[in-house]
Amino acid sequence: MKRKWTPFFLLLPFLGIIGVILVSVGNVLVQSLGYIPAFGLTRLTLDYYRQIFAREDFVSALQVSLRLALWSASLACVLGVIIATALVRLKKAGGGVLSVIRLPILTPHAVVAVFMVQLLGQTGLLARVCYSLGWIQDFSQFPQLLYTAGQEGTILAYLWKEAPFVAYFVLAFLSGISDTLGQAAENLGASPLRAFFLVTLPLSLPVIGKAFLILFIFAFGGYELPLLLGSTLPKALPVQAYLSYMEPNLRARPAAMAMNGVILALSLGMALAYWAAMHALAKKVGGIR
Amino acid sequence: MKGNFLFKFLLALVLLLILVPAGQILLWSVAERWPWPGLLPESYSLRTVKELLFGSAKLPGLLGSSITLALTVGVLGTVVGLLTARATQLYDFPGKELVSFGAFLPLLVPGTVFAMGIQITLIRLGLSDTVAGVVLVHLIAAIPYCITILTDVTRAVGSSLEQQAMVLGASPLRAFLHGSLPSLMPGILSSVSMGFILSYSQYFTTLMAGGGRVKTLALVLVPYIQSGDRALASIYCVAFVGSALLVFFLFEGILHTVSERSRGK
Repeated sequence: MKRKWTPFFLLLPFLGIIGVILVSVGNVLVQSLGYIPAFGLTRLTLDYYRQIFAREDFVSALQVSLRLALWSASLACVLGVIIATALVRLKKAGGGVLSVIRLPILTPHAVVAVFMVQLLGQTGLLARVCYSLGWIQDFSQFPQLLYTAGQEGTILAYLWKEAPFVAYFVLAFLSGISDTLGQAAENLGASPLRAFFLVTLPLSLPVIGKAFLILFIFAFGGYELPLLLGSTLPKALPVQAYLSYMEPNLRARPAAMAMNGVILALSLGMALAYWAAMHALAKKVGGIR
Repeated sequence: MKGNFLFKFLLALVLLLILVPAGQILLWSVAERWPWPGLLPESYSLRTVKELLFGSAKLPGLLGSSITLALTVGVLGTVVGLLTARATQLYDFPGKELVSFGAFLPLLVPGTVFAMGIQITLIRLGLSDTVAGVVLVHLIAAIPYCITILTDVTRAVGSSLEQQAMVLGASPLRAFLHGSLPSLMPGILSSVSMGFILSYSQYFTTLMAGGGRVKTLALVLVPYIQSGDRALASIYCVAFVGSALLVFFLFEGILHTVSERSRGK
């Protein structure tokens, strides 16, 4: 009898934490529907969602953030898998090289922003190297990567931090598959490239997909990097949402929360898409196992 | 073989791209003048170091409080993670799959959305603008990683040693402390350091829950970056990353000693 309840006692702190998250999500949704009694708002309505979708600053912020999240997450996944493959191939899955690869994972986003300013700015190190090589004659000829509406600087900053994260995230799995099934395929005559694309990659897709999901949601809801490296207009969605949240006019609060609601809906939608895709994949590849 | 050469080149490029910005920041932090288009600074000064140590920011205190806060988060996250891992790995109960979904939940709700949503509740609970509130909010960010790490080690270690000890008459606590804890130690240490790093890097959640009154290094750094004083922003970054790495490698060192000792036994 006592043992039967033990797991629930063990789970109490965890359930508390889940509770805090659900309360927060509930607050966002309720406030976005216009229910904030403290501000004298008590009528539930979808008007605020309608309102923000009619606002140009919101729609362009949404586009900016979607683009930013898709590019940074997919590029980080491709590059991360390549790095992990290189580590496996060269048998460097430990030691000094891995410590360096881990450095970006340990570096806070705000610091990465400073790195990028010093590296990619028009008077940054890359521009200086191009000048000394004679490729450009003046810093104004170096492409503007920072503070642009295209968020190139933000994407590159995420890439710097997240590609090593993906490499680390998939390394153990990839090396396990490549050592067993990948080797088997190569012994049977497949070229390393074929073995990678036909065996290792398909089997690693769930892990890579999970990394993509984590990174997409992180970049889509991230604040510091687009704040420090993105354009003033249009802003990234979380930056825009925070700006509305901080408006002195408290009646703007539901609209800010509706923006958060949109970020949340798209993040959870992405997670659902991931699970659906993994389900379909498991059905397809399931026969092999 | 040709492929390996390509991989070597690529890996070298990646290492270069990781190390160059990190090295550059060291130069920037002590550069007095570094005009275009020089590849190296023209002159150096220790202005920033002085400002850092004796200036308005009071770095030593700030470092102390940031590290204490982050370690608290790391330890709490590890305790919650360990309890959760033991529940799912050593017991059977209905709805177990929901726990692993729940552990993933903080990664599905972006930190910005979470922080803006929870603020009103923190105010109601009197936790707004307090260290406790910040710890709670950071804990949410750390928990998925702590649970993942500790679930893996708990599964690997199992409970057989513990059960043997209990059969021989040890209390459950003693059985855990002497039976399982030593083998769990590597996982526990990496969970604490993961929680530490996650808390140490938080900016937005600290801003929202701490209301600017709970000061951490990340919070103080961002305005310096926005102000555009490159040298000062750089020295802050050096202090920030340096201290994080120091704590992190301290943990790695402890981990190494612990695993060496248990192997020696």
